[in-house]
Parts: sequence; structure tokens; C-alpha cells
Amino acid sequence: MAAEVALEVATAAASAAGFKAVGAGLAVGLAGIGSGLGEMGIGAAAMGAVAENKDMFGLALLFTVLPETIVIFGLVVALLLMFQ
Amino acid sequence: MFQPEPMSRLLIVASKQQLEPVITELYHMNIFHIDDYVEKGDGEWEGFRIGMPLAGADVTSAALVKIRSIASAFGISKDSISDKERSSIKELKRRIEQDLPSIAEDVEKLLSQKSKRESIVKEYEQRIEALRPFIDAPVSMELLHGFDTISFIAGNVKGPVSLSIPNEMWEKQSKTGSFVIIAVKNSDVSVAERELLDFQIQKVQIPTETGSAFQVIKEYEQKIEELNKEITDLENQMDTIRSKQEFFLMSSEEFLSGDVEQAEAPLRFATSEHAFSVIGWVPTSKVTKVFEKLDTVCAGKVYVSELEVEDYNEMPPVEYHNPDFAHPTQLFMDLYSRPRYTEVDPTLLMAILYPIMFGLILGDVGYGIILLIMSLWLRSLVKGNEAGTQLVTVLRNCSISSIIFGIAFSECFGFSLPWQPVWLSRHINMGGAASHAAVEATVEGMSASAEHVSHIPQLLVLSIWIGILHITLGRLWGARNAAKMDHGHHKTLKIYSNIGWILVMWGILVLIWSKFPIPMMPDFSQLPEITAGINLALITGAVMLILGLVFIARENVLDLMEVPTIISHVLSYTRLIAVGLSSVAIAMVTNFIAIDMIISPQLTFLSPIGIILIIVGIVVFLFGHALNTALGILGGGLHPLRLHYVEFFTKFYRGGGKKYTPFGMIRKLTEQTD
Repeated sequence: MAAEVALEVATAAASAAGFKAVGAGLAVGLAGIGSGLGEMGIGAAAMGAVAENKDMFGLALLFTVLPETIVIFGLVVALLLMFQ
Repeated sequence: MFQPEPMSRLLIVASKQQLEPVITELYHMNIFHIDDYVEKGDGEWEGFRIGMPLAGADVTSAALVKIRSIASAFGISKDSISDKERSSIKELKRRIEQDLPSIAEDVEKLLSQKSKRESIVKEYEQRIEALRPFIDAPVSMELLHGFDTISFIAGNVKGPVSLSIPNEMWEKQSKTGSFVIIAVKNSDVSVAERELLDFQIQKVQIPTETGSAFQVIKEYEQKIEELNKEITDLENQMDTIRSKQEFFLMSSEEFLSGDVEQAEAPLRFATSEHAFSVIGWVPTSKVTKVFEKLDTVCAGKVYVSELEVEDYNEMPPVEYHNPDFAHPTQLFMDLYSRPRYTEVDPTLLMAILYPIMFGLILGDVGYGIILLIMSLWLRSLVKGNEAGTQLVTVLRNCSISSIIFGIAFSECFGFSLPWQPVWLSRHINMGGAASHAAVEATVEGMSASAEHVSHIPQLLVLSIWIGILHITLGRLWGARNAAKMDHGHHKTLKIYSNIGWILVMWGILVLIWSKFPIPMMPDFSQLPEITAGINLALITGAVMLILGLVFIARENVLDLMEVPTIISHVLSYTRLIAVGLSSVAIAMVTNFIAIDMIISPQLTFLSPIGIILIIVGIVVFLFGHALNTALGILGGGLHPLRLHYVEFFTKFYRGGGKKYTPFGMIRKLTEQTD
């Protein structure tokens, strides 16, 4: 009886850890897709603008990296899930 | 510091006799930024027109055009010339007069001979192409034309050809069809052509040559070979001229372009019948120099005066005024936009913070040393290129910072160094590290060693603190810029709105602290409650928040929509740790796969296959760390840049300043004085 309970507890703990890892993976992966989609359009337009006028480079870079914060948030969430 | 170089506005007026000495002296000093005189509009002075170029400008321009055309034919540029020696102007002037015409003539002659031969070669090649289909024809080419009663038709056809009229045909099969030469009576030509259309004929012109096609082609090929030999010969001659005259050409190009610029300077001046006047900007520290020098040159016959400037907004050209170590960072400022004259110039702060942020992200002794070596090696490659040198210097500073942080974090290629991390550790308990820790723990009979304890939540909080302080400073500078650059009621509103943003941010922080204890942040949750669940901190935070919102709304109600960005911008600074941790993770995973999974098991029992596996392991190790170094430069370089551009600059920076471009030239190949 006691052994069974211990086994169950261990399984529960293991699956909890597993779910944590899955959650962390989803956080980074989905956030990455999100920023990728965001940067897709901006990046193309920014390239066009820089090709027209080289001075736009700073501004173009700025706009391109704007959505990138999303994936950082995903990464932070994953880190907190894994290491807290 | 935090301010561009102070500028003074100077007015120079003199009679036209002094025009040349004044221009020469200004050009020589290379500190006077000319404000071009505009004939139409507000800047117009009655009776003054734009000046005419100095005498001799056209001659100089013509010589310059000649030199530039030679240079472009040779493909030489100023950067490719070593600037170890300099030629004296006197010698140059003499040589431009004496040698340049003959050099130009030689080069022109060689070039025209070369292009003539090249065009002949091209023509021969075309003839060869035209002859190629006839290569197997059983008759010589002269027999295919020039008859009174018989005509020849040649072309590519699909399928076997049969005509209803009397004819003689030669046919040669090819992959896509066949090539035919058909002889018909002159009277039947039109019928033959019509019938041949059914076989989809593509007619080929019969070349007028003598002899068999094969022989003629041979002859042409021989001729082409001879011509090519001559062309190489001409090229060699040009190379000799080039290597002999390269330095002379480039130094005289420099000298003449200086001359032309001076000769054309009056186009930027205001002139009347007998006098001229020019307005421009000089760094305030050098104003007396201009006064003295012009006075000496013109023997007192010039009027120079410092003008009052009522409104400094935008007008003066902007030259950075930073300590030496901050100069490379100016590259990043110019990339974004040069600051305006009156606003805060954040270059110095960026020069300090950027490497620190880089180090926080890529704090690893190993990668730091690789980058340091790389930057020292690149230094020699980008010599002469200003932006490149600046970039390499920034990389060097960053790599040094990376090494320092690496020592503090006790990290080298993802391994821990033989000491404890200073203060906060970011060693991750994963993969190899975790199993090592477990082994150590069982051997030592204790819990995992301190070396493998990481302080990731604390590090994240630390990065948030950096963000809070950075953004607060940005808003304070925003208020300062508003105070200096805006006018009237708008100015007050703008200052208050900047304070409002600070209040909202700190208000939210106090509200959070009043409820939730967070490591490394003040904890107000233990304060005595006033009424149910409400303590003093909560009230203070709420008041700050509401007051701040009111201040923001007073400037522009729509700005309230932007309030959530406060949170996202502050949290954005967590990238400093998050991106850094991802690079630590990649390094650790590489080590785990290469060493723990591939190499170590083989070392216990060496076998031939084991040795191959060890080599594979080493390759994996090198590849993984090379990839991580590249990612480290990208991540460590771009993220701090973004934090500055997006999170920091948007709070106060306006940019759009005019670049200070003094009238003059830094001579590379010629001597400064005559």
C-alpha cells in the first residue's frame, strides 16, 4: 500500500516536471512564431526602405526588432518555469 | 559632456580683393562650416547675389576630370594608396603642368587601341558564330553565292524536307531537327520559301567568305588569338604606367579637388559688386583663432564678427564633444540620428552602458577572449575605414567587458572556472551540469554544491532594476529637453508629462511592492494596514499613478493608450539575462553532447571506432562553440542596441541634427602647406 502511494507521488511529481518543461517549450516556441510573424512584414518593408535610402538604417533596425520583445517574454516565462 | 560642441556664428565681410586669401585660409583651417547663402527667401540680403567661381576654376576642373577618368580606367582609388609619403604641392603643380598631358595622352591612346582591338575581336567572334552551321558543308563558302540563275537558302528545319520544285539539298541532322542548304532556281525562290515555312524553317544568313567554313573559322581564331595577345600587351603597358603614376595621380586628385572646392566656394557666398560676405559656424573654442588668422592674412582688411544667436533650435551644425573612449559609440548615434544642437547627447552614457550590457549577456571568459583576438585582427583589415574602425573598437570594448563579467560569473565556454561566481550565479542545473551536481552530491554526501546553484530570478530582477533606472533617466532627460527646446505652454505640459510618466512607472512599482514581496526589491507588504488590506504604500502608489496619468493626459489624452508600454518596456530589459542564459544553455548543451555523450565514454576503453568518435566529438564541440560565438555577437550586440534605441531613446531623443562639415580637407597624400 505504502509503496503504491509512493509510486503514485513519484509519478505525479515526474509528470508535473514534464508539464513544466512542455509549458516552457510552448512559451518559447509560440512566442518565437509570434515575433517571427510580426517581424516578417516589418523586415521586408525595412529592407525596401534601406535600399531606397541608406540613412533609414537606424530607424529600420528599430522597427524590425520591435516585435522581438515578445519572444523575450516567452523566454523569461520559460526560464521562470524551469528554474524557480 | 552630454552636450554637443558649443558653436559660434561668425560673419565675415571683406572687399572682393580679399576673397581668395580668405577662402584659402578658411580652407586651410578646416574648421569653418559654411551656411550657404540663399538668394530667395528669408535669408536674402538686398543687393547681394551668389558669387562667381574664382578664375581658373574651369581649367582646374578640366584637369581633375582628366585625372578622375584615368583613375577610373585604371580602377585605382584613394583608399588603395599607401599614405606613408606625401608629395609637395610645388612638385605636384609642376608635374600636373608638365607630365599630366602626356600621361593622359598615353593612357587615352592605349585605351583607344585596346577598345579598337576588343571590338574587332567581338566582330570576329560573331563571324565565327555565323560560320559554325556551315562547318560540315561539302562546298566552300564562296560557292554558296554569286550565281546568276541559282540561289541558296540555308536554315534550321524540323523534320525531313521535300519540295515540289526542282532543287538540290544538303542536310545535316542535329538533336532538334536538321540544318539544310538548298539550291533552287532564282525563279523558284519564293515558292521554295513558302513551302519551307511548313517545315518551320529558321533562316540563316549565308556568310560571304572564301574557303571552307572550317578553314575560315580557323583563320579567325588565329586572328583573335593574336589580337588578345596585343590586348594583354597593352594592358601590361597600362599596368606599368599605373604602378608608376598611381601615387602622382591620386595625390594630384586630392590637391586638385581641394583647389576646385576652393575655387567654387564663392558659389556659397553672398557677393555684391565690390564686397563679399559669408556666414558660418565655428566651434566656440576656436573663434579667436579664426579672428587672428584672417586678420593676418588680409592685413586687417577684413571684418569678422561673432553674431548673436536668438534661437539655437536645429540651426547650428552638430559636432560631438565626448571624451576619447566614447568616440567609437558615435557610430551608433549617427546610425540612429545625429542629436540636435540643444538636446542631450547620450553618447557618453551609451559608451559606458553598451559594453556593460554586452558583458551581462555574453559574460564568458572564453568567448570574450575569442572576440578580443578577433577585434585585434579585424583592426588591421578595416584600416582607413572610419566606421569600420569605430565598430571594431566597440567590439574590443565589449569583449573586454565580456571577459570581466565572465570572471565574475565564473564561466568559460560554458564550463565553470575554479572559483565561485561573484554575487549572482547563472550556472544552470541542466544536462551535464545537473548530473555532475548529482554525482558530487552523492559522493560528498550533501546537496548539490554551491557552484551549481543559480540565481536566475534574482538576475531577472536585477535586469528589471537596470530597466527602471535607465527609463527613469530617459524621462528626466526628456523633461530637460522639453525645458530647453520647447516654448510657452507646450513646454510646461511636456515637462509635466515626462514627470507624469515617471510617476506612473514608480506608482505601479510601489503598488506591486505594497502587495507582493519580490527578491531584491523593497518589501512594503509588511507595513501596518490602515483599513482592510490597504496600507500606506498602496495609497501612495495609487496617488502617484493617478497623478501621473493626469499629467500625461494634460499633454495629450491619446498618450494614455501608451501607458501599458511602461510595463513592456521595463520587462524588455529582462532580455539582458534571458538572452545571456540562452547562450549559457547552448554552451552547456554543446559541452554535454560533445564531452559527456561522445568523448568521455570512449576514453574509458580506447578502440579505433572510439578514436573516430572522439574526433567527431571534437568537431561537434568546435562547431557548437563557433555557432554560439556568432550568436553571442549578434545577441550581445543587437539587444543592447535595441534597448538603447527603442526603450531609452524614445523617451527623450529627437535627433535630426545637421552634421558639422567644415570647409576644408584632411590631406592624406599631399602636404598641408605650399
